[in-house]
Amino acid sequence: MFLRLVADSFGRRPRRKLLTGAALALGMAVVTAAFSVSLDVGDRLAHEFRALGANLLITPQADSLPLEIGGVDYRPVNSGAYLPEQDLGKIKTIFWRNNIVGFAPVMEVPAEALTTSSSAVPVKTTLLGTWAHHSVTLPDNRTYTTGMDQTNSWWHVDGRWFKDDAPEAIVGKSFAARTNIKPGDTLHINSSGRSVALTVTGVLSAAGPEDDAIVAPLQIAQQLANKPGQYRRLYVSALTKPEDDFARRNPTTMNNADLERWSCSPYASSIAYQIKQVLPGVDAHVIRRVAEGEGSILTRVRMLLWLASFAALLAAALAVGASSAAAVIERRSEIGLMKAIGAGSGTIGFLLAAEQLLLAFVGGGVGYALGIVLARFLGEKIFGVAPEPSILVFIVILVLAACVTLLGSAIPLHRASRYEPAPILRGE
Amino acid sequence: MPDRKMFWRIVRRLFAAQRGRLLVILLALGASAALTAALLNLQVDARDRLTKEFRVFGANIIVAPRDTKSSPGAVTLDESTVDKVRQSLPIHASADSYLYLVASVSAANSAQPVNAVIAGKRTERLDQSALKSAIATPRDNTNLCLVGFKAAQQLNLQPDASLTLKNDKREEVCASDIADSRGDAQDSQIVVNLDAAQRLAALPNKVSLIQVSVPGTPREIRDYISTLAQNISDADVHGLRQFTDAETKIYTRVSGLLTATTALVLALTGLCVMAAMTNVAMERKNDVGLMKAIGGATRRVLRLFLAEAALLGLAGGIVGAAAGLLLSIWLGKTVFGVAARPRLIVYPVSVALTILVAIVSSYPLRRLANISPASVFRGEA
Repeated sequence: MFLRLVADSFGRRPRRKLLTGAALALGMAVVTAAFSVSLDVGDRLAHEFRALGANLLITPQADSLPLEIGGVDYRPVNSGAYLPEQDLGKIKTIFWRNNIVGFAPVMEVPAEALTTSSSAVPVKTTLLGTWAHHSVTLPDNRTYTTGMDQTNSWWHVDGRWFKDDAPEAIVGKSFAARTNIKPGDTLHINSSGRSVALTVTGVLSAAGPEDDAIVAPLQIAQQLANKPGQYRRLYVSALTKPEDDFARRNPTTMNNADLERWSCSPYASSIAYQIKQVLPGVDAHVIRRVAEGEGSILTRVRMLLWLASFAALLAAALAVGASSAAAVIERRSEIGLMKAIGAGSGTIGFLLAAEQLLLAFVGGGVGYALGIVLARFLGEKIFGVAPEPSILVFIVILVLAACVTLLGSAIPLHRASRYEPAPILRGE
Repeated sequence: MPDRKMFWRIVRRLFAAQRGRLLVILLALGASAALTAALLNLQVDARDRLTKEFRVFGANIIVAPRDTKSSPGAVTLDESTVDKVRQSLPIHASADSYLYLVASVSAANSAQPVNAVIAGKRTERLDQSALKSAIATPRDNTNLCLVGFKAAQQLNLQPDASLTLKNDKREEVCASDIADSRGDAQDSQIVVNLDAAQRLAALPNKVSLIQVSVPGTPREIRDYISTLAQNISDADVHGLRQFTDAETKIYTRVSGLLTATTALVLALTGLCVMAAMTNVAMERKNDVGLMKAIGGATRRVLRLFLAEAALLGLAGGIVGAAAGLLLSIWLGKTVFGVAARPRLIVYPVSVALTILVAIVSSYPLRRLANISPASVFRGEA
């Protein structure tokens, strides 16, 4: 009889039920969308922040003092220490290897450039050897492609990047303006007796000191400096977790449990520590300017979005609660009739609650599906990537829908239990 | 006009008759107005705050010598350029002028001098407000030099030891202070007072470059760069693309997200009011039937209810939006650590939005138009 009453209530007034269900579904859809996007936003924004470039800097441990102004080292090639290029694949073997989105070794060589087009006077400049888009063989024989186009994504090249295995180069835009050099020209580079001819493939605008330099494949720089297979500095760009007090503790003074927890969090400092362990003889530093700015902004934005989704949740709860309250109030005369023929307040409450719950689950499910579509749309619109649907959100939505509808109908139900059947049936 | 008098009299009676129900609607409208106002205010404020927050990255504009002929490093800017930059600085912005040179450095206790980059630095800013400078500066007029942590290692520097900087025959002595590791070029540099660096390099009134840190939306910064470039014809002004690019990207994303959430919350509150209005429509069947029976035109009856809805929206909006502004001040404090400044424009906007939502959500009242008086009196429908 109970089930029959519930089924009847849905069958008799499909339109009414549809309205309440629609309100529920809409509300839940919005909450689903807000939650899905909020869950995803940390990862997405962390990726966006990688546009800032490297957040870790690797240098030789036993190095002389770099004479570095604005990112270019002006030391002569034979002073200071170098690191072996062949070890670089090991970086992708650390625990947080998947968080490393790119790295690029750098070596500067002071050089004199002779252009075929300009006069015979050589121009003093710096040749920056690096990887543009280089394939690294990892220890497990897979290859990984990385280079400056990943670590320094703000570098714009008019023309194209050089090929890492060809005698090609790109020139900074100030240098190009100074020497009237264009893509397609040939540059003759001279450095301490060794010389090489490079084809210019593009003009670089980096808005930094590199605008005044020549950027060429690392092996060209190694050849000019007579340091085969070596590099001076390595830039690493990694996805990291904003640092907290725990992250700043010194790993050498931690006990085992803390050390494990510390290494299992992708803090910039713990990734630096792990890189130090796989690459012998290096110093790994967190580039504070990038890492700290990223951390503080990421924390704030995440909090802001959670607050906004919480506001959406509150609004949805209000909407759903109000519509389920409306649904109960409408049925006053029905309740009066049931009471008149002998139903107890408990039975009626139970019946109505069962109806509302059924509605909540159906509405919540439909709302979840709608919300995923909405989240995909928003995600694609804002980040260009749709968030993954999550089971967690689904469960949260169903529980939420049930709670909100029950709460919304609780007050009118409580009132309904005190109705006197006679006045209602009289139509008063 | 007696007609209008009657109209308002009925509206007044409507409010008096169903106090409980109307209170619920008022509550819903008030809550939605509060949420809207809080989110709108937070959104305006967060954008503003975010652009300030971006300044933890430090400078975003570089003024460097325009140099097309000679080799890099040897060219300097005149200090008149620094004056021009200082005069053009917007509020909350700051500029650092730097002079770089390579000098031989020796600590008092170590005999072995080390070649290091000396960066002379002076900070210019209009207001002395609490804008965090990302780089610590040696205070002007003191002989303090801030030694990068790598440089300190090389020098075997003891805390508070004095340093001797030597370039050709010129010499400067300063008390040292060791800086924390920053992971950039400054780790291997020694930052001194600009005047000291100028004396050391024998380049009075010259600087190598100026770093400007300007808060603002990407567009504001672009505009500022182009005005600055027009004012300063003898130097090259450009944005530090590493940071401006990333800031633009992140700013658009976050502000898009906030707009989306605000729109969603508005839609939801509309839904909420609509549900409550459905309720009211149900209960008013008898009234409407009666009004129609004694000759009220459908349009007049509907206008009556719309006026009621608009009044409810106004009342809910005025109270709710005020509460929402207070809420956003508190929220701003939790998110950014600084109370959000209430924007006056948000208040009328959210009141207007609430009224709009109230009127639009009265859509269920449309059902009342189809009621036929006879069936109401028969007790059907």
